[in-house]
Amino acid sequence: MRMGTANSFNNSDREIIEQLRQSGIDRIKSEEQLFNRYIYFIREGINKHSLSEDDAFDAYSDTILSGIEKISNGTFEGRSSLKTYLYQIFHNKCVDLLRKKTTNKHSVHRTESITDKLLHVSDTAKSVIQQLVDKSDWNLLKQKLNELEEKCRQLLTMWANNYNDKEIAAALTYKTADVVKTSRLRCLEKLRQLYKTT
Amino acid sequence: MESLEYIDNYFKGELDSEETVRFEEKIINDSAFAEEVAHYLSFLQVAKEQADEDKKKRFRELYQQDKNVNTRGVLRRIWPTVAVAALVAGVIFGWYLFMQPVSAKQLADRYMQEHFQTMIVKMDAKTDSMQSARNLYNEGKLLQALKHFEMLIQADTSNFEAKENAGIVSLRLQHYDKAMNYFKQLESYTDLNVNPAIFYQALTLMKRNHKGDAEAAKQLLQQVVDKDLVGKEDAQEWLKNW
Repeated sequence: MRMGTANSFNNSDREIIEQLRQSGIDRIKSEEQLFNRYIYFIREGINKHSLSEDDAFDAYSDTILSGIEKISNGTFEGRSSLKTYLYQIFHNKCVDLLRKKTTNKHSVHRTESITDKLLHVSDTAKSVIQQLVDKSDWNLLKQKLNELEEKCRQLLTMWANNYNDKEIAAALTYKTADVVKTSRLRCLEKLRQLYKTT
Repeated sequence: MESLEYIDNYFKGELDSEETVRFEEKIINDSAFAEEVAHYLSFLQVAKEQADEDKKKRFRELYQQDKNVNTRGVLRRIWPTVAVAALVAGVIFGWYLFMQPVSAKQLADRYMQEHFQTMIVKMDAKTDSMQSARNLYNEGKLLQALKHFEMLIQADTSNFEAKENAGIVSLRLQHYDKAMNYFKQLESYTDLNVNPAIFYQALTLMKRNHKGDAEAAKQLLQQVVDKDLVGKEDAQEWLKNW
């Protein structure tokens, strides 16, 4: 059976998903394209959920960030259209904001990436790590991250965004992936020193 | 820095099964090492949060641009009237936009805004007539793009993609009869498992909005839902809210 071609709506979803799974400047453009595509959700957050403009914007931005992450790591399986999927997330975020669960929401969101990383770790080791992570001074860590030189900061934020060393090398004009890895570990070491000496 | 590399290799999945077990035992038995692992993960988390904040700043700029465009459009419409009347008109206009039920045309406009603003041009594709036509479309040269797509159809009357694109360009140019003609031709491609023909015909009628079009569009949308065709989710939502 032949597949329908570009511009039928299933394919436009598929195209944007493929682009979001790419790296470098194409992915950044795709993220902006995705943001612009459903930007009218913000108006719906204001009208239907009676949110302030800032809250509606925050809910929508967080929805897009969540969508980008789920598409990039393969969690979004395409069982519904992209619009339906994102609108469900947006609706839930609007409801959460209305219920003013910001404190709890913040702490859950904070450890999302760590929970993913610890998925295959044994329960005992996981519990040890989790207790130590919970003691982190997040404000101080953020401050120290921003004290690093710009290239280190860029490198670490790309790493945290799941770009691999080869993709980072291409984007930040390092010679090879090995150089990126060495540089990344040096940046992490610098951050550790800054954090520990305060 | 050696322990950082060791930790990094673990989370990248580069340790074999024996080394993985030793790594996890070390977490349990060596508190200093456990702290280093916790630091590594905390650095990852805070870098992720910073990356998200950077993205949100970009999104804020995009939102501001979008708002500026809409604001300029409204001001242009109310400027000719007297200042007080303009204020009243602005209030009434705002009420009309946000309080009235959504019309078929608004639904269609929103769909076209989401899906038909650009055509995807693959970065690694060879330049050929189809890509050239898409590039013209993306540059806003709709008439030229339509001409290119129609030449492709003339050269190969079985070219589904060219007909689909010609229909979309015609719709954007508000050549509704032409658009309907192309979308009706797409119906004959029964071997496709993704064929938007019926949905696009409904969309065209919703935009054209002549007498009887709304009812005909609803019937087509119901067909899309009943036969589980492309556009089903939008069709269901529109039929509920229309």
